[in-house]
Amino acid sequence: MSDEPREEGQGPDAYTRRVLEQGLSRRSFLGRAAGGAAAVGLFGMGASPALAAAVKEPKAEGFATSTDGGATLTFLPKPKPIRDREISETLTFDVVVVGAGASGVPAALSAAEHGAKVAVVQKAPFALSQGNTGSGIDLAASEKAGVEALVARLIADSNHRCDPKLIRQWAYHSGEAVRWVIDRAKQGGATVVDQGSPAQRAILKVNGYSMGYVTSFFGPKPYTTGDGMRALAKTAEKAGVKFFFQMPAVQLVQGRSGEVQGVIARGHDGKYRKFLAKKGVILATGDYQNNRAMSDYFIPDVKHLERKQMDRTGDGFALAYWAGGVFEPIGHTKMLHDFDAGPASMCDMPFLAVDRKGRRFVNETVEMSLLNNYLKDAENAGHYSQVFDADYMTQAATWPGKLVPPDGLKNYMPDEPGPKKGVFESQVNTHKAGTLEELARKLEVDPATLVATVRRYNEVVASGKDSDFGKPASFLAPILKAPFYGIHRRVRVSAICSGMLVDEHHQALNADGKPIKGLFLVGNLGGGFYGGVDYPLTVFGLSLGRCYTFGYLTGRHVARL
Amino acid sequence: MTIHIPSRILGFGLAGLLAASLGAAPAARTSKHAARGVTCVQCHGKSGKPAAVPFRQCQGCHDPADLAARTTQAKPTNPHQNRHYGTQTDCTRCHHEHKASENLCLPCHTRFTFKVP
Repeated sequence: MSDEPREEGQGPDAYTRRVLEQGLSRRSFLGRAAGGAAAVGLFGMGASPALAAAVKEPKAEGFATSTDGGATLTFLPKPKPIRDREISETLTFDVVVVGAGASGVPAALSAAEHGAKVAVVQKAPFALSQGNTGSGIDLAASEKAGVEALVARLIADSNHRCDPKLIRQWAYHSGEAVRWVIDRAKQGGATVVDQGSPAQRAILKVNGYSMGYVTSFFGPKPYTTGDGMRALAKTAEKAGVKFFFQMPAVQLVQGRSGEVQGVIARGHDGKYRKFLAKKGVILATGDYQNNRAMSDYFIPDVKHLERKQMDRTGDGFALAYWAGGVFEPIGHTKMLHDFDAGPASMCDMPFLAVDRKGRRFVNETVEMSLLNNYLKDAENAGHYSQVFDADYMTQAATWPGKLVPPDGLKNYMPDEPGPKKGVFESQVNTHKAGTLEELARKLEVDPATLVATVRRYNEVVASGKDSDFGKPASFLAPILKAPFYGIHRRVRVSAICSGMLVDEHHQALNADGKPIKGLFLVGNLGGGFYGGVDYPLTVFGLSLGRCYTFGYLTGRHVARL
Repeated sequence: MTIHIPSRILGFGLAGLLAASLGAAPAARTSKHAARGVTCVQCHGKSGKPAAVPFRQCQGCHDPADLAARTTQAKPTNPHQNRHYGTQTDCTRCHHEHKASENLCLPCHTRFTFKVP
């Protein structure tokens, strides 16, 4: 099976055209700054000195403010190039990878296996990644029509705003890539298994066509893909890859025609080192969720939502932007979950859900991955609780998901003594109480409000019709019998998964839609793979699967240049 | 509509604010290090403007691995040996000299209620 492009020689595709027109590049920003300032003058709104100055200074490139005036882009000013005499050491490789995560480590190893001399510069003291599951399609076990049906499903999941050729590339290469990651990570001592198709129960048939999957699982928690990538990095070191830790990249080295020739990074000792890349630089620096200005500008939805990661400051976004790269248009795709407070298998079960005050707020058939949209104000900040009673094992037996019996729930209860298994102990947040008031206190919601909410909910249940939110009658179960249970979840930003414009080789494109020589972008920095409001959970582990696959393919591609 | 403001205006404003606040602050600062005879320049350098102290500067005197070994019994977890940075957490993410220290863990790990000296 192949994913050969269907359109040849017809100029940029629809996705690329939109990003070129509506995305943000250094050139488009400078152009718009001039246009915006002129418009201000024209409509007589330039009364303030700042705006008047903007009219006179169309080349202002220091700050831009978002449309609501609240966010400021501080990452825009291109720094003065670091001079050669400030460089303490220059090292030359074929390929330089920036970032040792779920895309960077595979990219580095893949390039090394294809004969390249490879360096990885990493800001953190070791390789890092999050999550457990990374997925691909087992082509041998899938019908071609099924693969295309899943591609169509993923495009729809992204509200038809993604780049179909990248979805197809994942579909037709992910099985191979994920198997390769499993094999090479095992060589480095990782605890990893292929959970295969059983892990993807809901998509074994797509539009009636049969599908099979490769589902890598680094776990159970607290073991994660971070441990997996550290193991993969060991394999990469054996293959000759040189890792430079605590070495954040600060600038790209560019030639006269803008081609990227290397990276300048600052070592732990405060000195700059230049890493020249004869074939190409692969940026794999992850998302920008910890860069407040960038987040407020590109995805104001997450303004009040907590972050799961640290130090994701969008370094690669700035580097690629300075080199002429193009951000995907404002309104980026986000990923918010909480699989830790209670069992992951119960997160989408339509129990009564209450907000941080204790009020019902949604038709609970809305999946956890979308609930952030109802809870993005400063007060709720992603917090909600699922509430059920002593009879949940029988009342919810036929609901989607998988129930964990009371004994198993203890594993998620901070008030229960003893060591816990397969969870992050510091994140469990499931509670049991003899009364609703006591439960409310444990869930940190207002007791009187919760009692009133449950009273009203029980009336709705008794009537057999959810006249408040329209939930199907089959999902209406009363909350009457002690002990009462609650899972206090807080969805936080796992990742922002929109990025910068790339072609099918993951090479960055400039504002003319032309490849920037020597610059490649993978992982969450790479654009085009999503586009919807939220990351879709159709394929469990799509995110890591995509990171592995594009790292694997790009490392090989650049090594062969 | 989008409004674009040149950097020098915002930059100027910010510099002005900083100058004002610096001017209002007392020259002498409290510091545990100062009490032990450590001078300003030993941490902040000689450049004249008090720069943020880089992690490597702390490590000139404090060995993070040693420190982590001495706090293995800390409950509920050893803050100096963690999943995010190993033993390489920049000291100044939690420990401050001239203002109250903070608990970097707490926003995400709500039960990691360390008292940070």
